Amino acid sequence: MITLIEYLVKSLVDDADQVSITEVNAEDSTTYEVRVSPSDLGKVIGKQGRIANALRTVAKSVAMKDKRKVYVEIVA
Amino acid sequence: MSDSQGQADSASVTDTVVPVESLNEDQAIAYQVMAEVCAASGLGATAIVRSVQKPYMTVELVGGDVRNTFGKYGPGLDSLQFLCNFILMRRVRSDVRLLLDAEGYRARRAEQLQARALELAREVKERHEEAELEPLPAHERRIIHAALADDPDISTYSEGDEPGRRVVIAPKVA
Repeated sequence: MITLIEYLVKSLVDDADQVSITEVNAEDSTTYEVRVSPSDLGKVIGKQGRIANALRTVAKSVAMKDKRKVYVEIVA
Repeated sequence: MSDSQGQADSASVTDTVVPVESLNEDQAIAYQVMAEVCAASGLGATAIVRSVQKPYMTVELVGGDVRNTFGKYGPGLDSLQFLCNFILMRRVRSDVRLLLDAEGYRARRAEQLQARALELAREVKERHEEAELEPLPAHERRIIHAALADDPDISTYSEGDEPGRRVVIAPKVA
């Protein structure tokens, strides 16, 4: 999962080296904290949050195989 | 440049495989993005090019856990398609637009939507009352409109704003 989120985010931004994803596990859910260069924030959020929401929906589908809740948070 | 080839109807089930060698430079990049997505997904998925009809290129994800992830959840497949097309816009110069499928999901879904449309149309005629479907993405609303386009007693239209836009099936007033 983290590899896919990382691949997608790195492909969306200008400064791929500044991308880092942290996996935070809770009891019944996993949160992926996405950090990017401040200048790339708009690129991972998108107009009206469309990119960020698409990332969340993709993560949700992949997590279906494990029946696990996942959250993707863009951390400024 | 390779000629466009493949299926005229993107909703039809097909096992056509367009050889990667026949793709032009930008289409090959699109295929590569999907192969990389498959590798990164950890789903054991493989990307297969099903048809190329410029600017569209249909790629189906198959194998591994695809069926019980993207293959059963349309919003996930649509979101992946949206992201991949966004990524592609940054990488290619010509217009290449990916249409993604996952283990035959699109055809199954189209069949389901057509059946719903016909069933609802029957009820609408019986009750002389409009019926409204749940919000659907544009390409799925089109399937509903198309399924009822030839019914002389029914008219369909959409109302509301994305992403809450819904198809309304209404009795045609003579």
